[in-house]
Amino acid sequence: MTLYLWAERLKLKRSNIFKIAIFSTIIIAAIVFMQGQFIYYGERYIDEPEWYLTAIQSLGSFYVFPAIIALMGTYIICRENQDDTLKSLVLIPVSISKMLIAKLLMTAFYSLLLYGFVFLIALTVELSLHFSLLNLNTILNNFKMYLLTGIGFFLAVSPIITLVYKLKGSHWLALIFAEVFAFLGLFASMQSTLRAIYPITAVFNISGYYEATSSEIILSLISLILCGTVSILFIMRFNKNSSKV
Amino acid sequence: MLSLIQTEFLKLKRKKFIWFMFIPALLMPLVAVLYFKAGSQVDLTPIKFYRWTAFSYTTWLILPFVLGMLITMLVYQEVENNLLTQLWIVPVGKLRFIISKFCVMWLYSICFMLICASGSIVIGSVSGLIEITNTSVLNLILKCLEIGALLPFGMIPILALATTQKGYILPVSTTIVYIFFGFILLMGNMYLHPLSSVIGILMRNIEGVVMKDPVQIWKALLSIALWSGSSIALAINVLRKGKVV
Repeated sequence: MTLYLWAERLKLKRSNIFKIAIFSTIIIAAIVFMQGQFIYYGERYIDEPEWYLTAIQSLGSFYVFPAIIALMGTYIICRENQDDTLKSLVLIPVSISKMLIAKLLMTAFYSLLLYGFVFLIALTVELSLHFSLLNLNTILNNFKMYLLTGIGFFLAVSPIITLVYKLKGSHWLALIFAEVFAFLGLFASMQSTLRAIYPITAVFNISGYYEATSSEIILSLISLILCGTVSILFIMRFNKNSSKV
Repeated sequence: MLSLIQTEFLKLKRKKFIWFMFIPALLMPLVAVLYFKAGSQVDLTPIKFYRWTAFSYTTWLILPFVLGMLITMLVYQEVENNLLTQLWIVPVGKLRFIISKFCVMWLYSICFMLICASGSIVIGSVSGLIEITNTSVLNLILKCLEIGALLPFGMIPILALATTQKGYILPVSTTIVYIFFGFILLMGNMYLHPLSSVIGILMRNIEGVVMKDPVQIWKALLSIALWSGSSIALAINVLRKGKVV
């Protein structure tokens, strides 16, 4: 598996996908900062301590980041088909399931990095605006929240990413489904049980962004574990059919 | 020009997943039914229902995202299959190439909104949530036609960007960020962004939709014209330099 991860890392070094994802994140951070300038009841949003830390996480997570994570995942998987390298890999022979797991692990790593980077931006802005009002506990709590959200979103969209291997030419559909899937979380969040089950909002239950009872957290955990299991089942199925490439 | 547009549609016939991209048109009608069935249905008028199904997130996010993906995919597949080189050999004018792609996007957008309107009527009446009247149906169809016809003009910068790229990562990431920015600016200065300008024009006369300030149509049209004109001019310049073949 280490060899597969090493190969994936080398392949990604030649691509600028992560640079584009980081650039998109910076733009999103700037847009949310701009939104913070809007005045509500005579006060700017950004003037409220921790507003930026929570706003960038919720706005980004419902509208942008799941689609970016899905884009990274689908790109990593689809490029083998697009560059026509899959046939050569099968000839070596490479285990399709191990390769897909390595690709998913890379996506999970990049998802974590992306959320870590978002946290860094949000923290810098918050510290520059409300340095005296922030304490170490709040910062650490938010850091934990961001990292859990990063890994949680990866799990939530992983079945869509994995399915892309089979969709091949139609992988564009996966990106649309990922965006719609994330955006539906806005409506799922209106009802507590649905909020605990729906993978996108389940992430917020686990990360601590939403206040949730222990039974809701368990439901959310089960939901995300199911997403991960579905992805692994897909991968195992693809491995059986790898001879048909 | 007409034969070029006809060729574009003939090429579309081979892409079956184009049909699947119409599925998101029915998303908000389904969400609206679930929402109103679960909650209060008091004072639920057809216009309130249609505001949910067609005039809100479908217009703000779903349709722009689908159009962005569609146009990126259409241009990317031309590059991938080496069709662009052949088009330049014919020769096909750069502006005509962009206009032919825009025509596809424009017609797709109208079809998408008509599917959304039909879905809203059928799902609304079958669920028993709204009473279908001739006036409300006519208003919905006319407004959906207006949205379908105008919204692609807000996506011209994405079309221009897609035509200047060999890959799809940058146009897709930009689409995500671009739509998010347009959505946020709706409640700020909508004239800064072509998509929010188009949405501003579309929302100006919808009952129950309150904009921050009255929409100044000339400002919105100027913004759309400036962004579209400059992005197309830049795209033609890049294409003339032969960077994308």
